[in-house]
Amino acid sequence: MPRRVAIVGVGLTRCSSWRRDVIYPELVYEATSPALQDAGITPNDVDAVVYGSMDPFDGVNAPEKWNVDACAAAGMLGKPYLKISTGGTTGGSAALAAYYHVASGLYDVVLAVASQRVGETLEAQLVLNTAVDPVYERGFGVGAITVAAIQACSHMHAYGTTEEDIALVSVRNHENALNNPYAHLRVKFSVQDALASAMLSWPLRLSDCCPSSDGACALVFASEERARKLARQPAWVRGAGQITDNYFTGDRPWYEDWDSLAMLARRVYRLAKIDDPMREIDVAELYNAFTIQEILEYEALGFCEKGKGAELVRQGVTAMDGQLPVCPSGGVLSTNPIGASGLIRVAEAALQVMGKADQRQVPDVKTALAHAWGATIGFHTLMILDREAP
Amino acid sequence: MTSQQEEPLIIDGRWDIPYRHTAGQAASRFFRELKENKRIMGVRCPSCQRVLVPPRSFCERCFVPIDEWVEVQDSGTLSTFTIVYAQFTSLPPPPYCIGLVKLDGADTALMHYIGGLDLQDLEAAKKALSVGMRLQAVWRDEREGKISDIEYFRPA
Amino acid sequence: MSSRVCIVGVGQTHHRGPGGNLAYHEFAFEAARAALEDAGLTRGDLDTVLASGWDVLDGRTISDMHLVPAAGGYLKDSAKVADDGILAFAYAYMRIASGAFDTALVVGHGHAEGPTELVSNVALDPFFYRPLGVGVTSSLALQASAYAAHYGVSEDQAAGVVVKNRRHGANNPYAHLTSAVTRDEVLASKMIAWPLRDLDCRPQSVGAVAVILTSDDRARRIASRWATVEGIGWATESYYIGATELWRLGALTSAAQRAYRMAGISDPVAELDLAEVHDITSYHELMAYEALGWAEEGAAGRLLEEGATSMEGRLPVNPSGGALSTNLEAGTGLARVAEAALQVTGRADGRQVEARTALAHGMSALAGSIAQAHGVVILRRSE
Repeated sequence: MPRRVAIVGVGLTRCSSWRRDVIYPELVYEATSPALQDAGITPNDVDAVVYGSMDPFDGVNAPEKWNVDACAAAGMLGKPYLKISTGGTTGGSAALAAYYHVASGLYDVVLAVASQRVGETLEAQLVLNTAVDPVYERGFGVGAITVAAIQACSHMHAYGTTEEDIALVSVRNHENALNNPYAHLRVKFSVQDALASAMLSWPLRLSDCCPSSDGACALVFASEERARKLARQPAWVRGAGQITDNYFTGDRPWYEDWDSLAMLARRVYRLAKIDDPMREIDVAELYNAFTIQEILEYEALGFCEKGKGAELVRQGVTAMDGQLPVCPSGGVLSTNPIGASGLIRVAEAALQVMGKADQRQVPDVKTALAHAWGATIGFHTLMILDREAP
Repeated sequence: MTSQQEEPLIIDGRWDIPYRHTAGQAASRFFRELKENKRIMGVRCPSCQRVLVPPRSFCERCFVPIDEWVEVQDSGTLSTFTIVYAQFTSLPPPPYCIGLVKLDGADTALMHYIGGLDLQDLEAAKKALSVGMRLQAVWRDEREGKISDIEYFRPA
Repeated sequence: MSSRVCIVGVGQTHHRGPGGNLAYHEFAFEAARAALEDAGLTRGDLDTVLASGWDVLDGRTISDMHLVPAAGGYLKDSAKVADDGILAFAYAYMRIASGAFDTALVVGHGHAEGPTELVSNVALDPFFYRPLGVGVTSSLALQASAYAAHYGVSEDQAAGVVVKNRRHGANNPYAHLTSAVTRDEVLASKMIAWPLRDLDCRPQSVGAVAVILTSDDRARRIASRWATVEGIGWATESYYIGATELWRLGALTSAAQRAYRMAGISDPVAELDLAEVHDITSYHELMAYEALGWAEEGAAGRLLEEGATSMEGRLPVNPSGGALSTNLEAGTGLARVAEAALQVTGRADGRQVEARTALAHGMSALAGSIAQAHGVVILRRSE
């Protein structure tokens, strides 16, 4: 059994389409400095650092090397420093890496940092296209939006999910973001407004898609002994994991079910000893880069049966006042600094457990789930946080 | 730090990085067959027996090398699709339809364009396309050993 | 929580120059299969797979989509460390040490499909360093120049590293470059970025290497001999080099100190039987001797000239031929770990040294300013 690890500090930046007021190391510092303060520690207290970002988006390959000293002076102090890069799951992967740093027994206090400056890329879909296999598939111009659209097409065909259902997901997330001072898009609109927005890749409209954002996030992970001293209410890691599915888009052509996430969920729930996620999870921060994905995620995560995800939306089960609020932060639909978005899900889940989520706090959170997906939808990370140590 | 009044300096950047990608044995043969023999080849995993298109040199599930080649049909069914209406920088001009086509004889689907229909009118296009519909490859007369040797798959 | 992590299998391809008929992830497949065979395991035995490397070098964003399944990671809990494979090894080590996983495979590769100088140039900040057009070789040259000037290290001494390593590489059935070179040939080779000549620099090799780690419990159950990780350390330096003393590899010193402390090593020259270091340039091997505490500052050249670091010496360095004979651009560090493991388990065909305790060193080649990140692993033969 790995030793107990908890999150004891969180730092977030304001996200926008382009944080043109700051040079990259300053943006990162804007997340790391509050994280250290929140944990009540100084750079000398940090034993190791993990950094996550997706390189091509920032226009700087390996920006973590440039940003090293913004991460608790890691360069000046000669710290152990690792870079994790796994597509959209990068932020979730960075959290997992930090967790294993502490769980290994080698380090007691580890800083996880993730950042992205999508605002400095002039065309995000073009970058995403470079993730697609150059030999067979890249020439079709496929990017994240087209793959999500394919998920929507399949889910609508298989289960009767409607364009109104996904429009409602959009409306709810954007409404939640109004409570989140760090969110990028903070706008209120109606289902009608959503349905009137431009069709980008049928059936997904502009309102169904995430923005491109600049932003960074930092978390402090600590061993049990340190966590109990540093935080009044640590967010304990109860279970965590990640998975890699097939590479070619056509290898698993039944896009209506997100099998890779379902598989990972079973593994992580077993680790976390969760039998009934709808009952036992109090809040979930899901990686809803596109509205339809939130619905697929409910089903894969076992919040409902296959094909019934849209009903949870229609019945308000996942609204802020529902049984299992999803994305009180506004989710990826409101804020997407891609490499950081997965870490932001963990940060938001931690804030909920720690009782520090201010206006977006869900009452009485014991257990929170954080998810991220990546690649041509075959990567996932999951982390379950809890008020009590496992 | 800059004062509130000053606009920060913006510097343009562009990566123009050339690459030379090796297709490997499996892809090379696939493209040669498209060009020279106007046929679509897959490979069969000796362990799980799945016929994989596009072909690859090992099965990631069984983790064994694959060397059995199988011809699959140039017709199949539409697994799923999308129609793109947005213009992304340096990506194809809209509208275009991307689909996954389960070719007859293959266990995996091939990504390709779906064409031969009017995509400008979304409502008409949605009527003309459906998951499970039959499709037929439209081949180019002049083929180069690229995935574009098939121009698109049309409703059959 | 497991107290020890062990290397139970090593696999590598027969490394060669660019061109050829395998796609980059197909090399990873071959190396992973070879490692599994070496360990007597199947893909089903793996709990976790770690890939390494840079997307921008590979020309594929999210390269782990290819590399992880090719290395046996399909549906496994897996990730990628975007750096040299030795840092992915460090992550795999922690995964096993935590007790959450029992068996890990780590893969590193090189395939020369992208222009390394340009890729390293775009790894620099767009404001201060990138516009100067510097890349990995010119920045390593800057460091070599500072080192040579500060300590009076001669080009002869640097050439001596090349002669030694190329001679060693000729014994290695897996090496890319297998012909020895003379001192005169080194000094006559084309000047690339003063003081670095062509032969002072690493070649671009194509291939892959994979290493399998397990808990010691598992190693005892499945293997007859293995290499135990006695110590491990990694560290980074700052990015801006204006305030650094370029003639030292500061992050390597930090990494080595951590590894030595863990392994209980106080006199490395006496206690190590061999070392595989990342000779990214000839000068950098000399700098490594000093950072690793084997020679006083500036005295590395003398250690070399005495023959201490030849195959026949008291501390053989790079019996495999090092990066100067085979350079997997993102996997050279992991290859050093693999070679060290082969040495202590007595399976280093043609290049075997009598070895019980070995040190492996790797560094980040294409990212950061100059030699910004290093990792050190110390292995000991199981008894």
